[in-house]
Amino acid sequence: MKWAGIAYALVFALLSAPVAAQSDPKAEIAKLKPKDFPSQPIEFTVVYPAGGGMDVSARLLAKQVESLSGDRIIVNNRTGGAGMVGHSYLATQAKPDGYTVGVIASLLWGDAMLRAQGRWAYTDLEPIAYVNSDALIWVGSTEGPYKGMSIKDIVSAAKEKPNTIRVAIVPGSMWEYILDQIEANSGAKFLRVPFQGGGAGITALLGGNVDIAQGFFSEFRGYLEGGKVAPLAVAAAGRMDFLKDMPTFNEAFGGNEYLWQLVRYAVVPKGTPSDRKAYLAAAVQGAMKDPELIAEYRKQGVFFDPKLQNSNDLAADLNAYADVERQFYVKTGRLK
Amino acid sequence: MMEALNGLLTGFGVILTPANLYLCFLGSLIGTLVGVLPGVGPLAALALLLPVTFTLSPVGGLVMLSSIFYGAMYGGSTTSILLNIPGEAASVVTCFDGHQMARQGRAGPALGIAAIGSFIAGTLGVVIMTFFAPAIAAVAIRFGPPENFALMVLGLVCTLFMISGSTIKGVLMMALGFLTAAVGLDVVNGHERYTFGSVNLSGGIELLAVVIGLFGIAEILSNVETMAKSTLLADRIRGLWPSLADWRASWRPILRGSGLGFILGLVPGGGPVTAAFMSYALEKRIAAEPDRFGKGAIEGVAGPESANNSAVAGSLIPVLSLGIPSNPVTALLLGALIIQGIQPGPLFIAQRPDLFWGIVASMYIGNVFLLILNLPLVGLWVQFLRIPYRVMFPVVLLLCVVGTYSANKNVFDLWVMLGFGVGGYVLRKLEYDLAPFVIAFVLAPLLEQSLRQSLVMSPDGVMILAKRPVAALLLAASVVLTFLMFRRRTKNEGGLP
Repeated sequence: MKWAGIAYALVFALLSAPVAAQSDPKAEIAKLKPKDFPSQPIEFTVVYPAGGGMDVSARLLAKQVESLSGDRIIVNNRTGGAGMVGHSYLATQAKPDGYTVGVIASLLWGDAMLRAQGRWAYTDLEPIAYVNSDALIWVGSTEGPYKGMSIKDIVSAAKEKPNTIRVAIVPGSMWEYILDQIEANSGAKFLRVPFQGGGAGITALLGGNVDIAQGFFSEFRGYLEGGKVAPLAVAAAGRMDFLKDMPTFNEAFGGNEYLWQLVRYAVVPKGTPSDRKAYLAAAVQGAMKDPELIAEYRKQGVFFDPKLQNSNDLAADLNAYADVERQFYVKTGRLK
Repeated sequence: MMEALNGLLTGFGVILTPANLYLCFLGSLIGTLVGVLPGVGPLAALALLLPVTFTLSPVGGLVMLSSIFYGAMYGGSTTSILLNIPGEAASVVTCFDGHQMARQGRAGPALGIAAIGSFIAGTLGVVIMTFFAPAIAAVAIRFGPPENFALMVLGLVCTLFMISGSTIKGVLMMALGFLTAAVGLDVVNGHERYTFGSVNLSGGIELLAVVIGLFGIAEILSNVETMAKSTLLADRIRGLWPSLADWRASWRPILRGSGLGFILGLVPGGGPVTAAFMSYALEKRIAAEPDRFGKGAIEGVAGPESANNSAVAGSLIPVLSLGIPSNPVTALLLGALIIQGIQPGPLFIAQRPDLFWGIVASMYIGNVFLLILNLPLVGLWVQFLRIPYRVMFPVVLLLCVVGTYSANKNVFDLWVMLGFGVGGYVLRKLEYDLAPFVIAFVLAPLLEQSLRQSLVMSPDGVMILAKRPVAALLLAASVVLTFLMFRRRTKNEGGLP
C-alpha cells in the first residue's frame, strides 16, 4: 500500500503548489529539522480505541504531518482503563526522545488530578499544538413524555418529579459533572444510567431506555439531521455553528460555569530535546493550518477554539482551562 | 420484497467492477490472515488499514473493511483447532472441541466444518439482512438493559450445563471467572476495584491475554512435558473432509448457530464473541450426550463457528441502517464512513442506496471468496501438524507473545498471559474445566452492567425485570432450565450436586 501513500503525497504536493508560492510550510518545517532526527518512525500515541473521535482526529492529523514533513508516522492505540493506561504510559514510561507524540484530549486533566494518585501530573506532558475541540451536548427524544420540551422545561420537570428522568452518563467524567452542577443549582434530581461511552447512550435513547443522551455533535449528527433526536443544549461558551437554534446551558440557566468540552491537542513527554520539540511543534502546527485538514475536521462536527488556535503560550492557556476544572473538583469535594 | 430485490440488483451493479471485486477479495484474504494470526484481531487490522481506505472510493473502502471483519471469523478457527490458541476472541470456544478433534486426527473435518458452517451462516445472515434490515433494526434497538441482563442470565444458566466432570469444580471455576472479571473500573461509578493501586489493573484484565495464556501457553506446557513423541499428532490424521456422519451431526447446530448469532449480533452489547459462547452453551444444553462436549464433538465447532459469522451480518444492520455501532469493530466501520464524509444514520439507506446495497452485495461475493480461499487451505493446515513439536513450540510461543502484545502494546499483558498459562496448566492437572471460567469472565461485565443499569432506570427496583415482557420471558426460561438441571444432576449423581 506504500505506493498509494506516495501517489497521494505527490498529488497533494501538486495541488498545494500554488499556495506554496506564498509561504511554503514544507520549507519552514524543513528549516527546523534537527540533523539526526528522525531516524525511525515517530509514534502518535492515542490512548483511546481505534475508530473513536480521538483516533480519527489523530489519524487525519498523522496523514497530514507525514505529507508535510516527509517523516514516517505510526498511530498507536495504547488503550485500557478508559485512557488511564495510555496517559500513564505517556507521562511516566515514554522516552522523551521526540519519537513519541501524544495526541490526547483534555480528559488527561481529570485522570491526572483524580486518578493518578500523585504518580504523575498533567504537566509531565508538554503541549506542542492545539488540534480541535468538541463540546458536550444534550439531546432528547422526539417521542414520549418529554417531546418538544426545552432544557429548562426538562430541568423543572426533574425538580417537580425527582428521580424520574433518565439521563445516560459515562461514570466519573464530565457527563456526570454537568449533572452535578445542574442538580446543585436547580434542586432537580435525575436518574443516572451508566454507559461505556456516548454511542451506547444514544442507542438507549433511540430505544426508549433513557430520556436524555449526552455526547458530542459528531456522534449525534446523523440522528439530528434525520430528526430522530431533539437538540437540547450545549455546554460551550457560545452556540454551535452547526446548530444555531440550540441554546447553551449558560444561556438557559443564566450561569457561566456550564463549560464542558473536550480539547484535543498534541504533547511530547517532558524532557524532549528542545530542537526536536520545536520541529515536531512546527510540523503539527503546520498541518493544522492546512485547509483540507480543517475541512475534514469540520465535516466530523468538531470546532476550533479561537483562544487556543491563536495562542502565543499554549501551555499557559491550557493550564488555565485545567485550573477551572481543578476548582470544580475542589468545590465538589472530589479533590482536596 | 421487490424493493429489496431491486436494491440488491443495484448493489451487484455497484460491486461487479474489477476494482471493487479486487478489494473484496483483498479484504477476504487479509481477514483470513488476521483471523489465523492470534492476537491480531479484526479491530486491530481495521485500525491499521483505515488510512489506506482514505484514498479509495467510499464503496471500495467499506467493502474491504467489512470483508476483513467477516473474513477474520473464517480464519479465527484455524489456530484454535490446530494449536489450541484462539485466533481471535470469537474463536475461543472452538478450542474446546476443535483442538480435541485435531488430537484425534480429525483436524481436517474440524477445519472443513468450520469453513462450511461459516459460509452457510454468513450467507444466511446476508439474506436476512437483504430483506429485513430496516425493520429488524427498529426492533433490536428496543433491547435495553433489562433484556440484556435476562439474556446474560440465560447464557450463564446454559453454562452450568456445560460443566463436565465435577459440578463443584465447575461452579468454582465460574466464580473465579466472575471475580477475575470484577478487576478494574466499576462500570457504574468509575471507582477502581481490586487494582491494588496498579495502573495496569485499572483497565481490567485483558480477555485476549487470559485466553492465550489459559489455552496457548498451558497447551505448550502440557505438550512439552510429553515431548517424547516427535509430532503433535503423529500420523493419526484421519480424513480431510467431514464425513456423512459429521454432516448429520452438524447441520442443525449450523442452522441454530446462524439464527442465534444473528440475533446476538443485532442487539446492543452483543457481537461475535458472545454469540460463539452462547451457541456452544446451547449446543451442549440440547445435545443427547452432553458428555461428548470438550472431547471432540463436532457440534461444538459447527455451532459457534456459524454463530460468530452470522453475528457479523447481524451487527452490520444497526450500524448501516441506524448508524448505531453495537461493538468496537462496527464503531470503527462507522468511523471509516465518517472520514469518507458520509454520516450513517436513519437516512443512510435512502440517501446512499449505492453504498448500502453495494456492501450487502459484496457480502454475498465475499463469503464465496472466503469459502474458496479456506477449503483448499484445510489440506495445507493439516500438514502443519506433521512438523515435529520441538520445532513447532517455539513458533507457537512466539505467536502467543506477539499476539498478546500487539492487542494493547502493553507489556503487563504478557505477564498476565504467563500467569494464566501456568495457572491453566495447574488447573488442567487438577482436572478443572476451563470453559466455565472463560464464559463467566466474558459474560460477567455485561451481566453486571445491565443489571445495575436496569436498577438505576427502574422506579421500583427489581420489578423492572418482571414488567418488561421480553426480559420476564427470558428469566422464566432460565428458572425452568435451572430446575431441570438440578433434577438431572441429582438423578445422575444420586445426591445433591
